[in-house]
Amino acid sequence: MFGYLKHRREDVIAGLVTICVGIFILTEAFDYRLGTLTRMGPGYFPMLLGVIMCLLGGVLLLFSQPSAPSEPGAEGASTRGVILVTVAFLAFALLIERAGMVPSVTVAVFLSALSNRTTSLVTAGVLALGTAFACWLIFSLLLGLQIKAFW
Amino acid sequence: MELLNNLALGLTVAASLSGLGYCLLGVTLGTLVGVLPGIGTMATLAMLLPITYHLEPNYALIMLAGIYYGAAYGGSTASILLNLPGTATSAVTGIDGYPMARKGQAGVALFMTAIASFVGSMFGVVLLSLFSVPLARVALQFGPQEYFALMFLGLIAAALIGSGRSIRSLAAVTLGLALGLVGLDLNSGVARFAFGMPELFDGLSLVAVAIGLFGLPEIIANAGRIISAPPDTKGITLRSMLPSREQWRRSRMPMVRGSGIGAFFGALPGTGGVVATFISYATEKRLSKHSDEFGKGAVEGIAAPEAANNAAVQSAFIPTLSLGIPGDPVMAIMLGVMMVHGILPGPNVISGNPDLFWGLVMSFVIGNIFLLVLNLPLIGIWVKILSIPYHLLFPVIVAFVCIGIYSVNFQVMDLYVLLFFGFLGWGMKSLNFEVAPLLLGFVLGPMMEENFRRALIVANGEVSTFLVRPISGVIMAISFIIIAWFLVAGLRGLLARGGRGGVAEKRNA
Repeated sequence: MFGYLKHRREDVIAGLVTICVGIFILTEAFDYRLGTLTRMGPGYFPMLLGVIMCLLGGVLLLFSQPSAPSEPGAEGASTRGVILVTVAFLAFALLIERAGMVPSVTVAVFLSALSNRTTSLVTAGVLALGTAFACWLIFSLLLGLQIKAFW
Repeated sequence: MELLNNLALGLTVAASLSGLGYCLLGVTLGTLVGVLPGIGTMATLAMLLPITYHLEPNYALIMLAGIYYGAAYGGSTASILLNLPGTATSAVTGIDGYPMARKGQAGVALFMTAIASFVGSMFGVVLLSLFSVPLARVALQFGPQEYFALMFLGLIAAALIGSGRSIRSLAAVTLGLALGLVGLDLNSGVARFAFGMPELFDGLSLVAVAIGLFGLPEIIANAGRIISAPPDTKGITLRSMLPSREQWRRSRMPMVRGSGIGAFFGALPGTGGVVATFISYATEKRLSKHSDEFGKGAVEGIAAPEAANNAAVQSAFIPTLSLGIPGDPVMAIMLGVMMVHGILPGPNVISGNPDLFWGLVMSFVIGNIFLLVLNLPLIGIWVKILSIPYHLLFPVIVAFVCIGIYSVNFQVMDLYVLLFFGFLGWGMKSLNFEVAPLLLGFVLGPMMEENFRRALIVANGEVSTFLVRPISGVIMAISFIIIAWFLVAGLRGLLARGGRGGVAEKRNA
């Protein structure tokens, strides 16, 4: 039994995840008024979607196929890239309303530039300042976007 | 005669100085983002959206549309030269385009894609100008049942056609529909799936969701890439671009068939350029006398999918403008821009704003001529742009994406939404779910629920109302035929395997 499941891991996990999402939608849907078919409340349509999700997950589980052998050439994104790009976006989100556009662009560009191993600190810094200046020129001066440039 | 008058009206808008200017700006930007891998159409539109609010709606739409179909031209350049598709729809072009480039025929391949793109686009524009008005007239009779049925068909087609894993795609569509419901329910004022966050009451930002699902994984995947081999561009002169007579002859019919296939899938909400390119490629491979050359540099293998892609891009405007049903996320943004300017999407758009509709149609013609110039004599510029080192380019893209997303609503929450959907997309991909159906479900979710509710109020709760009304009945019947067909195919596949646990040849789950 365990071997059977392990062999079909990909479909089994996908099925379980689908069912979990379906159950989550259902529990949320039951928090809202369901209403009747003639007068549907806010919960009716989500309830249908939750049921469909659970059914599809069930089908995935029941008819799970052996996983295809993983492709040898499939290389994932580097961990460094994932972390630094994520942090860059987070930094922008945290800074934009506190510090304004120019500082937040500088930080975001600097951090994401570092996600490539060959980029040196100096290159990243110059690129960051250059981009920030260009953004200030384009968005604040030329387009007059309603974002404050500095704090 | 009426058509001529309309086209003349359109020309006064599109050929005005501003019309030409915004059209040129749009197609140039479009080609640029198409050429560069990693910045999609969505990210570009997101950055320009805030600007378009200050423009006249005619020009705003002309420019945004130009970006959309310009990217369809540019996407093939990187695909051919680097085997790195600039847009999802140009992946197929690389199958034969890259081998052609390796054989020193990059110029011919680039020329052929430009010509095929032009042919496909023009075919799409002709269909758009012929069918939109009659379709809108018919659509005036549509009730909520018909709208629901059309969207149902679109979603079913998007999930099942051209996808190897239909159950997963259906699940992605369903999740997308649910995500589309986030925010205040218009009928009852109840906030759904908002978890007490008032920023979510207006729903999730389409731009943030789309870029999170598609753009972010692309940026992250390419962030660590060290050196992209600079494309070999020495041989690309205008003379070397001219195809031989034999190549012309072999490309003619594939272009025609590609245009037809593309226009059909483009006009059907849900399926679009990606499906059209794959199907037209498969069709040509089956029909060709030289099918063994496919994958090694067959000129048909780039002519057909490029024509299909561009025909699909243009015909996608048919349901968008005549019915108000967006076939893909870009179309949803177009409708959003119209709404900002007080134009309500639906069958009345064309009759109520003839200058907008016909101006767009004529701008497509003008824009495609611009694109021909940009992509034939000026191709060298775009090829040069490809040699900008990506590791210096993508941090700039990150900054532009940040500003673009933030400036749509000036809401920090949208940036968190972007990150959330980036991780969702990554998780789905690792479980082999496709994200495109999810996005389509997300776009259509609110409209679908609204029409479902309204239809059942009108019909007093009789679900059969979707089947007994003639038009919606026919559409529902087509949807069920597609479903039945896939059920049969799936079961047959299961039986053929006879329960023996070998490695499945074609997976349907």
